[in-house]
Amino acid sequence: MKRSIVGGLSVAALVSLTLTACGGDDTGTDPAAGGGGGSDEPVTISLAGWSLSTTPEFQVLADAFHEQNPDVTVEVNEYDATNYDTQMIADLAAGSAPDMYVLKNLLNFFTYQDGGQLMDVSDVAGSLDENTNGLDAYEVDGTTYAVPYRQDSWYVYYNKDLFTAAGVEEPGECWTWDEYAQKAKDLTTALAATGSDAKGTYQHTWQSTVQGFANAQSPDADILGGEYDYLAPYYERSLDLQDSGAQIDYGTVSTNSLTYQSQFGTQKAAMMPMGSWYVATLLAQQESGDADTFAWGIAPAPQLECTGDDPVTFGDPTGIGINPAIDEDEQAAAKEFLSFIGSEEAAQALASIGITPAYSSDAVTEAYFGIEGVPTDELSKYAFGTHDTRPENPVSEHTAAVQGALGDAHSAIMSGSSSVEDGLAAAESEATSELG
Amino acid sequence: MTTTSANAQAVTRGKALGGASGGPVRERRAPRRPVSTVGRVLGYLVLVVAAAAVLLPFFWMVTSSLKTNNAVFTIPIQWLPEDARWQNYLEIWRKSDMGTWIKNTMLLSAVITALQLFTGSFAAYGFSKVRFPGRDVLFLVYVGTIAVPWQAYMIPQFILMSKLGLSNTLWAIVALQAFSAFGVFLMKQFYETIPGELSEAARVDGLTEYGIYRRIMLPLSVPALASLALLTFVFVWNDYLGPLIYLRSPELWTIQIGLKSFIGQYNAEYALIMTGSVLSVLPIAIIFLLGQRYFIQGIATSGMKG
Amino acid sequence: MATTLEARRPGSRLKRRNTLLGLSFILPNFLGFATLTLVPVIVLFYLSFTDWNAFGSAGWVGVENFREMLGDARFWTSLRNTLYYSALHIPLTFAVSLGLALLLNRKLRGVAFFRTAAFFPYVTSIVAIAFVWNALYSPDVGPINHLLRTIGIDDPPGWTTSADWSMPAVVLVSVWRDMGYYMLLFLAGLQTIPTELYEAARMDAANAWQRFWNVTLPCLRPTTFFVTVMLTIGSFKVFDIILVMTNGGPGTSTLVLSQYIYDQGFVENDFGYASSVSVVLFLICISVTVVQFVVNKRRAL
Repeated sequence: MKRSIVGGLSVAALVSLTLTACGGDDTGTDPAAGGGGGSDEPVTISLAGWSLSTTPEFQVLADAFHEQNPDVTVEVNEYDATNYDTQMIADLAAGSAPDMYVLKNLLNFFTYQDGGQLMDVSDVAGSLDENTNGLDAYEVDGTTYAVPYRQDSWYVYYNKDLFTAAGVEEPGECWTWDEYAQKAKDLTTALAATGSDAKGTYQHTWQSTVQGFANAQSPDADILGGEYDYLAPYYERSLDLQDSGAQIDYGTVSTNSLTYQSQFGTQKAAMMPMGSWYVATLLAQQESGDADTFAWGIAPAPQLECTGDDPVTFGDPTGIGINPAIDEDEQAAAKEFLSFIGSEEAAQALASIGITPAYSSDAVTEAYFGIEGVPTDELSKYAFGTHDTRPENPVSEHTAAVQGALGDAHSAIMSGSSSVEDGLAAAESEATSELG
Repeated sequence: MTTTSANAQAVTRGKALGGASGGPVRERRAPRRPVSTVGRVLGYLVLVVAAAAVLLPFFWMVTSSLKTNNAVFTIPIQWLPEDARWQNYLEIWRKSDMGTWIKNTMLLSAVITALQLFTGSFAAYGFSKVRFPGRDVLFLVYVGTIAVPWQAYMIPQFILMSKLGLSNTLWAIVALQAFSAFGVFLMKQFYETIPGELSEAARVDGLTEYGIYRRIMLPLSVPALASLALLTFVFVWNDYLGPLIYLRSPELWTIQIGLKSFIGQYNAEYALIMTGSVLSVLPIAIIFLLGQRYFIQGIATSGMKG
Repeated sequence: MATTLEARRPGSRLKRRNTLLGLSFILPNFLGFATLTLVPVIVLFYLSFTDWNAFGSAGWVGVENFREMLGDARFWTSLRNTLYYSALHIPLTFAVSLGLALLLNRKLRGVAFFRTAAFFPYVTSIVAIAFVWNALYSPDVGPINHLLRTIGIDDPPGWTTSADWSMPAVVLVSVWRDMGYYMLLFLAGLQTIPTELYEAARMDAANAWQRFWNVTLPCLRPTTFFVTVMLTIGSFKVFDIILVMTNGGPGTSTLVLSQYIYDQGFVENDFGYASSVSVVLFLICISVTVVQFVVNKRRAL
């Protein structure tokens, strides 16, 4: 008797769930929005963002757009910064997601695209000019699913005061990884002689700090190829720096939860490869006193060899896509917003708050270097304006799994738990079974 | 209720002794045995050292809450701040919405604990003292759901709750936690220890099953209820993933989700994060201190010594 | 065993009455439990035979997910690690928490403080726990290895940075964190043991060990059963402590099933497969639980 009640309940629930999952067009996220009207009526469209009080970029975009289009209001909904994708997947699954959402990590783009949770915005993409970088990343089989508004790149941050104190020459427009390693060692020795305990460089625990550069710069790099020999020189160099004491070892960094902000900001290291987002953080921390006051600059990423081409580095775009469950009369407004975020006006607004926009032009560079405190030396300007930035990973259904295997290899190799060969071999065998 | 309780206790003990003595057993204290002072001091010493080891991370959390941000994570670990920054405790109230978070969490913890205590102990009585067909299978189903990892079914559950209109309300968390199988299981196991003769005698006296539950079982199960209440309270207080999925509006946030989002926003403000963590533990500590005294009542001191 | 109504007065009308009575007790909890937990769990079982990706409809794939699991090296690694973790964590936590409960179940000056202290690891922020323990474990600058070097161990383990030591290191923290929780359950159970039994045992000149073996343990059986089942399930489902301590590393040395399930769902977006792995985890837990049930029933007779 009991069992049949349970059975009855479950069948009913299953049916309702399946229906839910298929339908899901009753978004109704903001009943306050004055939908229903014609196209010239005021419209409110919602956008998902995170940590709004410390991440002003969403509101900056929304305000700048509203100024141009007084009829359209973009309302930003707050999500959790670290669990953004978990919350978004839940909301999309339940049909309660906002009209538009930011693709926080390129790695998760495939999830949304493959799951049919992004509207085709090829028409918007086609109307943008070629100065908008990073569009390719959101293209699958000739269709574009999102528009990037920001394009981060990795540089090497360096502490000019420590370079001067150590008497080591600052990097130039092109430098190789070997020169970088040599400088790190020279800095460490010279700084130790002055009584400072600062290291030559700092490498954070993320797998990108090694693999991101290797994937972008190695001629035969392809993480979906299943062969990772090309990572070996990058790992050997990093381990050598660690063993020689020119950078803190991985085990100490991970067990002491060291943060890159405090390592560079309180002058524990003279150099640090890091993404462009750190410029704004460092400025804010120097202002608040959390970071020391010292002269710093950004140099382009070191290269395998200097060929005279633009320096190659890596970095992912951040884009915005449209939820296909959006009301039909709001679609036009959402697409307009997307074409706005890829424009020069939006880029200028973003640059003036320290964001590296996807759209690049002289006016944008000018806006960026107009911020107080941003280093305005020639090398920093060169590093900001001249680079060939490749996405960290290709978009594919296998990327997440392969990335996972390579992440295991990273922690195994850097912690000294396995040799470079063994670590990469384990990743290869796992990737092969995933790809096969 | 107190009288019933005393009677019930008396009955238990009477029965346990073989039912010979009829009157209430009042004298529970056994004659004291002399314990060597050296042993006692040594025992305390061990306990104090162990307590210090156990409290070490908490100690670090407190001292870190008084440091500057970039002095929190250092090599080697720094146990004491260079000079204490008490203003961190003011600043967190200014920068975060701590008041709202604590209020929401208090409310949720109290409501859920009350519901869990009632429905859990009630259902447990059905499972342990009333025999009916399918009972054991149903009970196994209850325990079985505990074995399924929540991460795997949280999306289907979220879809269901959204359809019921519960998501993004505090009710979602109540619904999620108040009917847990854990409480039923805990209470059932406890009821098994209460001799059947006791309810039997009560039945002869004309008490209904509901009466037995209320007048005999509840008063006798105070230690179990206390531990269920404490564990539920702490669980709700510290739950992170549930509120993360269900509570989106900042005015509904609980302390854990608030703190984590604070970490996300000010991800370099480590000292303030520790300040918040200390504040979030304090209410629990107080409740535990108050609640733990329920674990001394029925026990005789001499019984366990030696 | 407890005498029940049925045993006293058999009869089918009575049976129906008993069923209704039992159900009336269970119903308030069952209504909430069935709609909010049981239904999603049943849906999960259904999903384990599909290729559901959290969004569209779920396509039936039969036992394909389970077949895939057989050849999935990462699944086997995480299963092996989960078993390794449980094999260490279950007996250690059981012994430590029972010991603590016996120690703190007496009239003792400051007992409230010591109990609260033992429970503190369970309520302290997990971020703080991970930080302090990781710092203690730090291979070159950490206090633990410093101590080991002082007493003459020249090559101390790398703890959380070594593939061989990371699991024992995590288990240690985990036992330390959980002991207060299970101690509380044992404390509640100890209250149910009638004092008179100890007095009777004492009259029979039983020593402390005999009293523990012949009085405490048998009387504590329902609690022991509960703790064993919860501890088993909790160990097999371990998630957050590993996530913050090692995040599964170094390499895959501490990758456990729950983390694997989460990654399969939320990172690789294969909720169908994640559900299948959950079903396997469920089956392992439930078979262990049923064995415990049977053993417990047999002992009770």
